[in-house]
Amino acid sequence: MKNMELIQHLLKMLKTDYLLNPLQRQYENVHRVAEPPGGPGPAQLSPSLAAMSLQSSTPEALRVVNLLQERNLLPPTPVPAPTPCLPQDLQKINCNPEVFRCTLTSIPQTQSLLNKAKMPLGLLLHPFKDLSQLPVVTSSTIVRCRSCRTYINPFVSFLDQRRWKCNLCYRVNDVPEEFMYNPVSRSYGEPHKRPEVQNATIEFIAPSEYMLRPPQPAVYLFVLDVSHNAVETGYLNVFCQSLLDNINALPGDSRTKVGFITFDSTIHFYNLQEGLSQPQMLIVSDIEDIFLPTPDSLLVNLNECKELVQDLLKSLPTLFGKTMETQSALGSALQAAFKLLSPTGGRMSVFQTQLPNLGVGALQSREDPNQRASAKDIQHLSPATDFYKKLALDCSGQQVAVDLFLLSAQYCDLASLGCISRYSAGSVYYYPSYHHQHSPAQVERFQKDLKRYLTRKIGFEAVMRIRCTKGLSIHTFHGNFFVRSTDLLSLPNVNPDAGFAVQMSIEDNLDDMQVVSFQAALLYTSSKGERRIRVHTLCLPVVSSLSDIFSGADVQAMTGLLACMAVDRSVTASLSDARDAMTNAAIDSLTSYRQSVLTIQQPGLLAPACLRLFPLYILALLKQKAFRTGTSTRLDDRVFAMCQLKYQPLFYAMLMIHPALYRVDDLTDEGALNINERTIPQPRVLQLSVEKLSREGAFLMDTGTVMYLWIGRNCHPNFLTQVLGVPNYAAVPENLYLLPELDTAESQRTRAFVGWLRDQRPFYPSLHVIRDESQLKANFMQNMIEDRTASALSYYEFLLHLQQQISK
Amino acid sequence: MILLTMVARVADGLPLAASIQEDEQSGRDLQQYQSQAKQLCRKLNAQSPDRCTLEAGDMNFHYLIAQGVCYLSLCEASFPKKMAFAYLEDLHNEFYDQYGRRVPTVTRPYSFIEFDTYIQKMKKSYVDSRARRNLGSINTELQDVQRIMVANIEEVLQRGEALSALDTKASNLTSLSKKYRSDAKYLNTRSTYAKVAAVAVFFITLIIYVRFWWL
Repeated sequence: MKNMELIQHLLKMLKTDYLLNPLQRQYENVHRVAEPPGGPGPAQLSPSLAAMSLQSSTPEALRVVNLLQERNLLPPTPVPAPTPCLPQDLQKINCNPEVFRCTLTSIPQTQSLLNKAKMPLGLLLHPFKDLSQLPVVTSSTIVRCRSCRTYINPFVSFLDQRRWKCNLCYRVNDVPEEFMYNPVSRSYGEPHKRPEVQNATIEFIAPSEYMLRPPQPAVYLFVLDVSHNAVETGYLNVFCQSLLDNINALPGDSRTKVGFITFDSTIHFYNLQEGLSQPQMLIVSDIEDIFLPTPDSLLVNLNECKELVQDLLKSLPTLFGKTMETQSALGSALQAAFKLLSPTGGRMSVFQTQLPNLGVGALQSREDPNQRASAKDIQHLSPATDFYKKLALDCSGQQVAVDLFLLSAQYCDLASLGCISRYSAGSVYYYPSYHHQHSPAQVERFQKDLKRYLTRKIGFEAVMRIRCTKGLSIHTFHGNFFVRSTDLLSLPNVNPDAGFAVQMSIEDNLDDMQVVSFQAALLYTSSKGERRIRVHTLCLPVVSSLSDIFSGADVQAMTGLLACMAVDRSVTASLSDARDAMTNAAIDSLTSYRQSVLTIQQPGLLAPACLRLFPLYILALLKQKAFRTGTSTRLDDRVFAMCQLKYQPLFYAMLMIHPALYRVDDLTDEGALNINERTIPQPRVLQLSVEKLSREGAFLMDTGTVMYLWIGRNCHPNFLTQVLGVPNYAAVPENLYLLPELDTAESQRTRAFVGWLRDQRPFYPSLHVIRDESQLKANFMQNMIEDRTASALSYYEFLLHLQQQISK
Repeated sequence: MILLTMVARVADGLPLAASIQEDEQSGRDLQQYQSQAKQLCRKLNAQSPDRCTLEAGDMNFHYLIAQGVCYLSLCEASFPKKMAFAYLEDLHNEFYDQYGRRVPTVTRPYSFIEFDTYIQKMKKSYVDSRARRNLGSINTELQDVQRIMVANIEEVLQRGEALSALDTKASNLTSLSKKYRSDAKYLNTRSTYAKVAAVAVFFITLIIYVRFWWL
């Protein structure tokens, strides 16, 4: 009988040989396959988990900390993400926390348990992050569960070699014949060794069933404000130069199309048809009923018309040099741009420098400068008109995403304008008081941001779906997208700098489950016209005791999720409601800890070690530009900070909320990292208190988008000469934003450190060197969260306030 | 007006390139036609005629098969057939030059989507077709008209299914009738045996009766 089976297998292999050869060739594309060295596979999931007891969860996480007594809570290095308490072989293949993170790494078994713990449950994801290693699989069949359509992932269980059990809906599925063969190891009959089952993050090349229409080409449309104000700021020069420099690096293939529209009180289109000797400008002044002057040649193929495009970019800045137009018809320009892009879809980049005051979508100035520092409620956080939201939804339906660049010194009602990006999966960039002469640091930041924006990876006509194990359900989504049908997120463009957050609740008790899984699947068209699916799967254990839930709490993820929830609450209810809600979150969780988990009642404010930074982060949020009251904050700055809190992935949002402070005048090579043969010093992260500053030192504060280098009055002259190249403190220039490249060891170390910090993020943080008398000192000092200010409590006072509320 | 063009590999229906006339003024819902086009590409095989026109409502599908690749276009019914096929021929020549050799080796759908730029240009030159040169090139293709078969798209899409259903039914019938025949034969022989046995039993009892009663 065994011989018969062998012969049958052999026959089957011969029959499927035609299919196998292309498979084999395509597997050369798999970049890296993680093979666990021996060890039980996921098929042995249940017994190994049953054997593992939760004492292996580190007691360190539950160590009781009295926040009132211990002052040095910050670890010397950036806070790492907590590791879920899973058996080692599962945790090794689990999803990277930079991509997929949960606020509670041990999921409560029931909703009532979650309510008792008083902590938010949600996921934070960064699905399109630039990854250095990404396994790519081309397969004729993509194996998915028949009922819930989950992609096969490392956490399914194989019942025997022919059937697999879905880890989200527990249905048993058959393993298709092609899946039994593993081209990487050229072996048959071991489906659990295939790359789809060995990697939690994987990308599939999608077959034609996943396409509603042939893959769209990369289409880029630039909508530029050319009113008098815009020409004054001089941004057009920087933009045109940047685009000229990067025109060959725009993601796309030979079908890439570009177009340009400029506008002030009329709309100007540019005919770039191949064969014309120079670009032709067509002006449409009927802004009430906008139409396209010619049916084609407004969006042209980049490869064929490159010279014309370059000519246009060279002449644009001078074309409007003498303009005296002060009106801006942004709404009509957006409608015209939408008409132009709606046949194919693509990306629209809008550059605006003033409040739109003409035509549809005109806005009023709603901000009252006298109310900036009011301690009461902040008004006008919600949009004034739904024109921009409606237009964004239309754009989303035609696969057009709108990115907004706001370069303005006056109030621009970002609360209304921002809607155009929020619902069409675009991004908002904000450069307050941009001027080519008066703010060179902004110019540099704009340049570098443009370079990243034009050349970064992009995905078109994308949709994303997040699935979770039966029993859990997702109810609220945060980020820039449009939610179509309960859990399908429509993303006309997906970019590597966008983060998303979701809130979950537990519908049915997770009684007989030991682990739950979450899967995020992103279906997109790459800029080269390939349809791909990126799948991330995260697996977390289920626990039934409150102390286990507390030991698995991820304080940074919780802060990020609370920030998103607070932004929503500020817009729907009021800012003071949101502030109270955040404070209550801290109070509730610590109260729950004290009552339910602590066995010995001690005096003081007690928290588990994993939540020791929670009050500090809540205080940081309360003092953040988005939520602070009593300090003068421009409304646009506030709204932009709120947009960023919802849009940024967690790592950068945390830098925004709680900046990192380092002492840089005494950098040593002790404990330095060695990357690419450069030694990067690793100074200790300091607390954000003036206590830690010293007149004799120089300190670097990293807030994500901006870095401040503060020089103490009595700073060692060695630092000044070796790093800044000036003889003494008085000679430090006023607006220094570049570290001079000197040949000294200290200069090299400082620049290596700053460069390393900059390399860790895709956008470019500008650097400001400030002294005591500098205007930016106020910005620097505002980030000193632990200190008392005129309108806010110090950290210690906040802790006392919490303690008082808890013992009530 | 040419609304949709698709280039696919005949062997397995894998789409290689495509172009859709996305025009705000036309405003037609091409989704249904697109799925029909995809289905059609899958149904075609080496036995299908080289050139064919299929009627689908008030539109026509024209397709041309050459060297294992199918070139399909959806045009309005008023668009002249000769021009449609001249257009497809042109596409074939250009496509074969650029990508012909690589067609059997690709597995990813729309691997040659970059051919779209050429399709767009071709489409434009054929649609702006008051040009004499187009008419001239069409006249020389007149003899091809006789080779083009006109059929209804529904027939083609359903054809395969109907035929195979018929085939299975017919073979079913054959086997069933064979079975019936052998069963009938079997029953016949059995009943013959039963009859013979009954007669034999009767005679034996008669003989025994005669033997014992009369002697």
